[in-house]
Amino acid sequence: MKHLLKFLAGGLGLALILSGCGEKKAERSKFAVVTTGVASFWDICKIGAEKAGADLDVDVEVLMPNGGVEQKSKMEDLLSRGVDGIAAAVIDPINQSEFFDEVAERVEFITVDTDAPDSKRKVYIGVDNYDAGRMCGQLVKEALPEGGQVILFIGRLEQDNSKRRRQGVIDELLDRSRDPSRYDAPGAPVNGEKYTVLATLTDQFDRAKGKANAEDMLTKYPEVGCMVGLFAYNPPLILEALSQANRLNTVKVVGFDEDAVTLQAIVDGTVHGTVVQNPYEYGYQSVKVLKALFEGDESMIPANKFINIPARQIRKDTVTEFWADLNEKLGK
Amino acid sequence: MKKILGILLTLVVLYGLTAALGDGFLGAYNQEKLLERTALFGILGIGVAFVIITGGIDLSIGSVVCLVGCGLPWLLVKQEWPPAQALAAVVLVSASIGLIHGLLITKLKLQPFVVTLCGLLVYRGITRGFTEDQSQGFEGGFGSLRQVVTEKIPVMGGFGIPWTWVILMLVAVVAGIFLNKTIYGRYLRALGNNEEAARFSGINTDRMVILSYVVCSLLAGLGGVLFVMDVGSAQPSDFGNFYELYAIAAAVLGGCSLRGGQGTVVGVVIGAAVMQVLKNMINLVTWIPTHIEFAVVGAVILVAVVADELVKRTVATRRARKSS
Repeated sequence: MKHLLKFLAGGLGLALILSGCGEKKAERSKFAVVTTGVASFWDICKIGAEKAGADLDVDVEVLMPNGGVEQKSKMEDLLSRGVDGIAAAVIDPINQSEFFDEVAERVEFITVDTDAPDSKRKVYIGVDNYDAGRMCGQLVKEALPEGGQVILFIGRLEQDNSKRRRQGVIDELLDRSRDPSRYDAPGAPVNGEKYTVLATLTDQFDRAKGKANAEDMLTKYPEVGCMVGLFAYNPPLILEALSQANRLNTVKVVGFDEDAVTLQAIVDGTVHGTVVQNPYEYGYQSVKVLKALFEGDESMIPANKFINIPARQIRKDTVTEFWADLNEKLGK
Repeated sequence: MKKILGILLTLVVLYGLTAALGDGFLGAYNQEKLLERTALFGILGIGVAFVIITGGIDLSIGSVVCLVGCGLPWLLVKQEWPPAQALAAVVLVSASIGLIHGLLITKLKLQPFVVTLCGLLVYRGITRGFTEDQSQGFEGGFGSLRQVVTEKIPVMGGFGIPWTWVILMLVAVVAGIFLNKTIYGRYLRALGNNEEAARFSGINTDRMVILSYVVCSLLAGLGGVLFVMDVGSAQPSDFGNFYELYAIAAAVLGGCSLRGGQGTVVGVVIGAAVMQVLKNMINLVTWIPTHIEFAVVGAVILVAVVADELVKRTVATRRARKSS
């Protein structure tokens, strides 16, 4: 017991000494961006956030947790360590709101990329995924002007941005009015005049499963006209399945986000186009807004608490320019 | 044969059901894909069967799949290693992982569950470290290397046997001969039934246990190589997640007892096939909602295991009645 006490006392002493060493000379404000997961999308966001940190002379940390449980513990650790503001991408808008409210009481808190509209976040920076989905639907219409069967592939449908993105595609294909709250259950086919959305397949981020989904749909619906991959890694998996089935070019592909394989496929003509968000700007604006809020300046917050960073459609004619710009930002 | 009767019956029933209810199930393309997926998971299953037969367990398989699956494209594309060296490196790493597991379990007498659970965490962590959490892929290159997985041997009417299936068959035949026709196979089983008795009868049990873990990790590594060649890219944070459980399920479905001492290679391959036909069925049969997949897979495995147990009991009572 005595030894244990000595050991603990020694450890405590060492910890105190080490923490003393870590002290910084000048106190800079500290902000953190917490993502929903690990993806190249977030790497671009990180570069934007770090650029803002350098431009505005503040400390910036970007954390990429795996799922909701880890996200919560990482944010708690940030609060323990002391940050001045957090921008978080939301995984589950309804169930995380309570925790976000706690965060918002202690530091400046905003949401980025995905929103939790009922929480006490000051503002949401991102894209309207419903509108981005409709842009994706327009690309499908261009790829299949005569109409046809469409199948959607997505990582998971639990998060708000997935639901809205998917609904946007469906509503555009069916020429419905703009209503982001509409929801077609994923199990049944949705029939329109020209287009039929046969199914929405999820893979829970398991890539082998995502590829198997695409293969199984080629088996089940040989007449499918267009496959749409709604998470960054889905279009490459669709392409892999199509290429192994020798059906590249006969089945149209429309993507989302800017995976290098997707962009190359647009150059090659095997993907019609993709809808890209602007993760660099998400990161940059998050830090900029957090700093302003921390300094008491709320002038940049619009009445609807939504800073829109619009999505863009990338087709064969614009892909080269877009890709060059992306590589430059990534330092490649 | 009797040991695998139950699972074989399950496979036949599922196959028939899906053929009747699913769209396009019997098409050449779908059959090829089923063979391919069964091969990938079957290789992992055969590996873990070796360990399970000795009464051990390996929970690190999914992470080894991740380490190798991300490591191979990382070496080839990012580090620009020649394919032969990169492949040799991943084989060496896989074998070393098994060797370390085996040594810790036999020499330090640590529990296999603990050792391989730590492995599960460590290898994924290492992978996320050296890849800096970036997705790794072949970036459109290495087409000739990937042919091993993407090509098939044409048979008839557009149907061909995927090379992955040929690889599985090779692995299965070698493993089957080893387990059934060599003295070492008998040692492994003896050791699983009663390690102490096996040791007292002069078997070098430590060496056999180490061997089983090396085989398991090597096959997990082979699985990782084939998986990433098939899918084309791998994400360090989730590639191969839970695959150890699919492998263990295939092995247990195929007649391996978690208490050790029992198991057949054919059974494991059929077990892996059952899992893949089931997943395929959930996608192809329109009225099964795809998001209840886990519930369906779990329930069918349970039913198969219960049926298998009941069949075995009936056989045993009949035999007892005959002999009395």
